[in-house]
This record gives sequence, C-alpha cells and structure tokens, in this order.
Amino acid sequence: MLGILGKLLLSASFITSIGAMVFYYISANKDQERTLRIGNWFFTAKTTFLVIASGILIYLIFQHQFQYYYVFNYTSLDLTPRYLFSAFYGGQEGSFMLWILFSAFFGFGLMKWTRAPYKAPVLFFLTLTQVFLLSMLLGWDIFGLKLGASPFRTIAEEMPNAPFLQANPDFVPNDGSGLNDLLKSPWMMIHPPVLFIGFAMMTIPYCFAMAALWKQQYHKWIGPALPWTLSANVALLTAIFLGGYWAYVTLSFGGYWAWDPVENASLVPWLIGTAGIHTMIIQRKSAIAQKSSILFAILAYVAVVYETFLTRSGILGSSSVHSFVDLGLYNQLLAFMLVVTLVGLGLFFWRYKELPSPEKESSILSREFMTVTGAMMLLILGLVIILGTSSPIIGRLFVENPTPPEISFYNTWSMPIAMIMALLTVVGQYLFWNKHDGESLASALINPLIATSVVTIISVIMGDVRNLYYMVYLFCGFFAVIGNAWIMIKLTLKNPKVIGGSLTHVGFGLLLVGILASSAYNEHLVDQKTSNYNAAVERGEVLDEQGFKVTQKEEMLLLNLNEPILIDNRYMVTYEGYELDNTVRRGQQTYKILFEPIDGGKPFYMNPEVYPMLTSSTQENIQWSVDPDVRTGLMSDIYLYVGGSSYVEQQNEFVRENAEMMQNVASQDTMATENDSLNVQSFKMNPGQSVDVGNFTIRFVNYVQTDSTELPPNTTIGVRAEVELIHPASNRVITLDPLFAVYSQDGQSYIYSPPAFASEFDLEFQFTEINPQENSIELTVTGLEEEYEPEWVLVVADEKPFISVVWTGTFILMIGFSLSIFRHWGREKQKNSD
Amino acid sequence: MKPKLIIGIVAIVGFTSLLMYNFGESISTYTTFEGAGERSTAHIPGTWDEDKGAEFSLETKRFTFYMKDEDGVSKKVVYSKPKPNNFEQADQLVVIGEMRGDTFYANEMLMKCPSKYNDADPGQFTDAVQG
Repeated sequence: MLGILGKLLLSASFITSIGAMVFYYISANKDQERTLRIGNWFFTAKTTFLVIASGILIYLIFQHQFQYYYVFNYTSLDLTPRYLFSAFYGGQEGSFMLWILFSAFFGFGLMKWTRAPYKAPVLFFLTLTQVFLLSMLLGWDIFGLKLGASPFRTIAEEMPNAPFLQANPDFVPNDGSGLNDLLKSPWMMIHPPVLFIGFAMMTIPYCFAMAALWKQQYHKWIGPALPWTLSANVALLTAIFLGGYWAYVTLSFGGYWAWDPVENASLVPWLIGTAGIHTMIIQRKSAIAQKSSILFAILAYVAVVYETFLTRSGILGSSSVHSFVDLGLYNQLLAFMLVVTLVGLGLFFWRYKELPSPEKESSILSREFMTVTGAMMLLILGLVIILGTSSPIIGRLFVENPTPPEISFYNTWSMPIAMIMALLTVVGQYLFWNKHDGESLASALINPLIATSVVTIISVIMGDVRNLYYMVYLFCGFFAVIGNAWIMIKLTLKNPKVIGGSLTHVGFGLLLVGILASSAYNEHLVDQKTSNYNAAVERGEVLDEQGFKVTQKEEMLLLNLNEPILIDNRYMVTYEGYELDNTVRRGQQTYKILFEPIDGGKPFYMNPEVYPMLTSSTQENIQWSVDPDVRTGLMSDIYLYVGGSSYVEQQNEFVRENAEMMQNVASQDTMATENDSLNVQSFKMNPGQSVDVGNFTIRFVNYVQTDSTELPPNTTIGVRAEVELIHPASNRVITLDPLFAVYSQDGQSYIYSPPAFASEFDLEFQFTEINPQENSIELTVTGLEEEYEPEWVLVVADEKPFISVVWTGTFILMIGFSLSIFRHWGREKQKNSD
Repeated sequence: MKPKLIIGIVAIVGFTSLLMYNFGESISTYTTFEGAGERSTAHIPGTWDEDKGAEFSLETKRFTFYMKDEDGVSKKVVYSKPKPNNFEQADQLVVIGEMRGDTFYANEMLMKCPSKYNDADPGQFTDAVQG
C-alpha cells in the first residue's frame, strides 16, 4: 500500500517538476514575476512529494518490509539503525533520490538569494536536471517502454517469471539479503551524502552560466556563482578525501587512490570546477576570461553527468571495483548526458560571437595570463583522466575489447602537469598581488627559490631519493609550499581576509610532496631472508623450476604463534593469537600482532581483522573479507592486513568437509581410518605455553621436582612436567605429571618416560624429550582424534611514509577554499542587502 | 594567420597525438593464453578450472590455480599474493601478467562477481523462508 503511495508521490514529483520547469521557462523568457511565483509553487510541491516519498522509503526500510525489492536487496533484520538509514542511499535508486533531495534544497537557496535577471533561468536549468534525475525513479511502463526503476517496486514486479512467485504471489521473504559488508562502515554514513551535496552544488555554476548565456549578461553572474562553485568544490574535495580515507583504512588495495573510474568521477568535476573558480576570480578582478568561465562552469557539470553515465550505465563492466549495475537506465542516462552537453555547449557556441573578447592580449607576466594558464592545466588534467576512464569507449579506436589503461598512464601524465601547475601557482600568486616585470619578479622570487633548494636538497639526502625526475618533482612541490607560504605571510600582515588563495596553493604543494613520498617510497616490511630474496629478484638472479627469471617479489610475512621475527631490522614482530568477536560482525577475528622496536621504542599492537562476508557466503563456501589496521604516525604509517590464517583455513576445511559429508555419507568410513594414523602426536613446548588440539588445550605449566624413590636406580636426570589437560567443553582441567628420567645401566644410558593417563578422555601423555638449551620439552600424546595444527597468520605489512602530509595538504586545501567562500559570500550578501 | 595561432595549433595537435599515442600503448585488448605471447601485461579473462583445485602454498607464498581461458585452454596460473577474497565466487577472472613457458604469472587479478542485482536467484528466497 505504502509502496503504491510512494510510486505515486515520485510520479507526482516528476510531473510537478515539469510544471515548475515550464513556468520558469515562461518567466525567464518574458521576465515575468507572476509566472516565477507559480514556478516556485510547483517547485515546492515537487520537493514536498519527494521528501514524503523518501520518508516512506526510509519507513519501509526500518519496518523491514521485504516484499519491496529495494528493502530486500539492501537491508536485513540484523542491521543497526544507522546502517538501516544509510541503506536508504546504499542502492542506486536511493542514491538518485538523495541527490535530487540535496539539489531541491539548494533550489530554495537559489530562490532566496539569486537576483534578476538570472533567477528564473537558473531555476529553470536546475529543475531541468531534476526532471531527468527524477525520471530515473519513475518505474513507468509506457507500452513496453520502461522509464526509470522505482525504489518502490516489489519482488513480484522485479521477477515476474520466478516460479516460486507464480506459485505464491503474496510471498514475502523473512529476511533481506543485507547491506554489503564493505559498506557497513561508519564512513558509509557520511561519504555518500557529502558526495551528492557536491554533485548537486556543481549543478549551480552550470545553471548560472546557462542563465548568463540566455540573458546575455556575461559578467554579473560570477558574483553569485563563485561562492556556490567554491562550496561545490569544498564538498567534492571532502567527499574525495572521505572516500580515499575510507578505502585506505578498510580496503586491502593498500592506498588511498587507485584511479578507479568512480574515484575519477568525483575528481574530474573537482578539477574542472577548480579551473572555473580560477577564471571566475580573474574575470571578477580584470573583466576578462568571460568565455572560459562560462565554458568551465558548463564542463564541470557535464563531467559530473558524464561520469555518472559511465559508472551507472554498466558500460564500465569489470573495470571498476564499484559495482553499480545497469538498471536498464542506459538510454535515460545517455539522454540526460546528451541534453546537458548539447544544450550547454550549443548555447555557448550560439552566443560565442557576442561573448566579450579581451581588447588586447595580456602579457605573459600578468596575473591574467598565469591564472588562465593554471586553469587550462587543470582542464587538461581533467581531460586526460576522462580519456583514461573512458577506455571502454575510446579504447575501441585502437583495439577491440579494450582493457582499462595501466595505472602508469595516469601517473605519467598527471605528474608533469602537476609540476607545471606547482610552478604556476607561485608565479601566479606573486603577479596576482603585485605588478612585476621579469627583473622584479626574479628578485622577488630569489628568497623562496633559495629556501626551496635547501629544503629539496635536505629531503633528497634524508629520504635517499635517487631518481632525478622525483628530485625535480619534489623541487616543484616544495616551491609551491614555500613560495605561496611566503606570500601568505606577507598578506596576513596586511589583510588576513585574502589569504584563501595562497593558503590553498600551500595545501596543493603539500599534497604533491605527500603523494610522491607515500606512493613511490612505499616499503614492504619483511624479514631479512625475504628482503635478501627480493634483492636477488631485483638483480634478476632468481630462477624458477623451469629456468625463467622470477620477477615477483615476496611481500608477505608468515608469523607462527609466539615466534618473534625480526622485520626490516627494526621491529621484533610476534603473533599473539586472535580474538573472536560476534558483536560487530558475526565471526570476526581480531588478530593481535605485537611490534617491538628493537631500538627501545614503545611496543605497540596492530589489530587487523578478518570476517566472513555474510551476504555473499554460502553453506559450502565462506567468503572472507579483511579489514586492515593502520598505525598513523607523523613520519610514516604502518599498514597491515591479514592474507590468511590457520583459523580461516580450518573454517574453510570445516565447511568443505561438511559439504562433502552431505554429498557422500559413505566416505566417512575412509576418513575414520585415516584418523588412526594421527593417533600419536608430539609437541614441543616451553614452560607456560599451550597448544589447542581438537577439543583440548594442553598446557605445559612448569617442571616439578620428583621424588627420588620413584626413579630407577642410577638415575642421572629425573624431572617431571606439570601438564594441564583442559577440556573447555566440560570445563574440566586435569593435571598430570609425566616423568622423564635418564638412567644408566651397564655403561649405557636409557630414557625412562612412563605414560601418564587421562582416563576420562582415554589419552596417554609421555614426557619424551628435554632440550635444556631451548628450555623446552617434548610431549607425546596418544589417543588424540584430531591433528594439531600450528597457529599461524599471514600478513602483508607496508610502511607508507608521509601519508600525514597528504591529509594535511588536503585539509589545508579545504580550509583555503572555505576562507574564500566566506570572503566571496560576504560580498554577495552585501550586494543582496543593497 | 598569426604566428601565435600556429604555435597554439601545433602545440595542441602535438599534445593530443602524444597523449593518444600513449593512451593507445597503455591499453591492451583482452586475449587468451595463446595470444598472450611475449607481452608482460597480458589481460586474460577466463574461469577457474575447479577440478584442478586451487592452493596457497605457505612455503613459496604463492597462490596457484588453473584457469580456463575463452578458448577453453586450461593453464596453471601463479599469483604472488594471498588468495583474493572473492575468488570462488567470481564467475569471471581476469589475470594480468605474463606467460612463461606453460605457466602464467599474474601480477594482478580482477574478479568479476555476479552482482547482487543479477544474482537474485530463487534459491536465496527459499533459504529465507526456511531460515
């Protein structure tokens, strides 16, 4: 019932949107105030319907109404309220809803703060994009032409041909299939909303640019558009940061950035939006660059829509880790993209001739030239990334069935562009605040250049940088930091309100330095033997069985329980066992790995986690997922995840055996006979150590003195071991003290180790060996049904230097942009109140 | 024509062709074991040859399995990392690496998993009823 209401509300929202669009169009065309008000009424109605529909969807999720496909597919009974809430935007339909919601709220902001003549056309274009987005949610079926996928469709509508539904049309599943385990993370609460705030805000500069073209008012629009663009920029940057940090601390690909298409989908609009900010600022100051401001504002949103098309239409297929699947929206998304692009660029070129051109070319050493060049660089970087992301389409020019480009493609191109940008930021900032000719600029730059050279040389020596290209890159990065900081300090003394730009550029420089340090100097933490092996692999000296050169280095560490290993000549690393915890995720193991710096630093634990992915595991097959642990430091991070463990292997074995047993009961006989050979087992133990075998724990407590009367004559050694046999299932502890004695007879030495019996469990214990050097004994146990398996864990540990610098750079960028928002918004408010 | 314009056009054309050339070099086509040849980053899609098993060796720290490529040829694949999380689930694998003799050395592996959306098989629902 509620589902039908939800569908009706979404349809009503769509129709009122079209209404709003029509009235805004009339109002914009005729400059009418009355039709604008009607448009606003429609817009308000549209938003109200959408808000109620979202409320219904959230209600259905919280009520576990599993007859609805969306609820079934993304939630389950065991989800806590906060993940139930984030399931609202966990699927594609819901994320469209969230996007439109934000867009609608910003619409009210535009209604309040935008002035004529831009108001009506801005709202027209905003509503136009919302009409397209709403159409994705309709679920209409017009003569077989499907329009949109409704979040309110039922399971029966989703799978009309499923036999179990034909037998019982009112079928409701008892539980849902649950939110993907990887999304059960606190970051899920915050990352998608911030991203969609960014996407929704990036629409606004597009709307203003289109309004400017429509009303042929090419200058004033940047006043209100600039703070919106800056805000969109901060939102996207925050979203990119949150996504990168989320990936870094919870996924095992080992970094914060992988050039994945979905990551690129938020980076490219940010780059082009930032280019737009540059030209808008220069247009405001110098009344040039009108064309590029409009073009960038259009392209930033086109990039949003294009990347949305790529990631949601299913066209990327297997080249992305983010599995957005095709909901049959391909054509609709394509239409959306084409309309936004063609209308945008079409109007731009239609008006191109009458767009103002600068009367004279600006000289190279001018803030205008530098800023516009910087913006061009941002655009070029954006285009390069779009090219790489589009490989499934554009790659067809070269080969059939193209693969995504290698990561090196992105790195090769982004590095030099970033270096040029870094140099431009400093020169641009110097020219921005003061007029310079070549000579005065050179003398102004001398001090920052000297400081940069010193810092670069120091870091090259300290960091043992041997790659010449990296040295140049570092120089550029440090130059951006130092040069811009230089200006910032001077500005702070004069007028601290205007430091937003230079602060942002400092952040950019730091980001460049941090990115290189953390990715090019990432080091695998391995023991000496492996590190020698890896060095040999590097020299090409290792051959495999068939005589081929081995090129793959070893990155993993095998840690046996309580056996310390020296890693990287710096840490003694010990695996101290794991804890099972069902409170966060069922079946989750938290491993305890102790790091003791051998130079006497403070020891610390790393606690990586492994857990079964309940949504995708079956009875025959557990699918495990890992959650790395990151130890954050000022100089470097240690990043560690589990690649396998004895516990995981045992569980897999257990499930496999269960599955086989179900298939073939007869095979049990052969398994029983196999077990007989495991009857006698020996364990080497230190005092205090214990082993788990099958249902038991055997603990060697300590040596005990023995009564000499029990010993054979001529005994040279006679000692007992206090052994505890623990049976956790029955909570019983049996203490035994098997004897070990060496006696001599006829000049020969004999060992005497009589068995001690644990008759309750039909087990025999013998103390069969003693190793005084290692302070260990050997216990031989007869009658155990299961084989003892050593406890081990396989870990991959990386040291990543200066990740903190990456984050610091990002935060400074955010702060710098935010300062600029306040400055430009303050001026806008002033104008509004005038 | 103004000389500036000519320089600009030359720069744009030069940049674009260099970019496109490099882009063309950095992508490759999905191929088969036989087609991998000498390439060091051959992308080969295929499926896990379940009958021949899959094993992670603690000694060599390598994950070894057999994969059937699209021609149905089954070859040994060696991967120097732990077994990927969703290996068994994947209905398609892409191994990226090079062919050496009769063995494929994968530096990277991509798993194409049945997405939850397409995976909505009736089995799930009957389980839900029983549970």
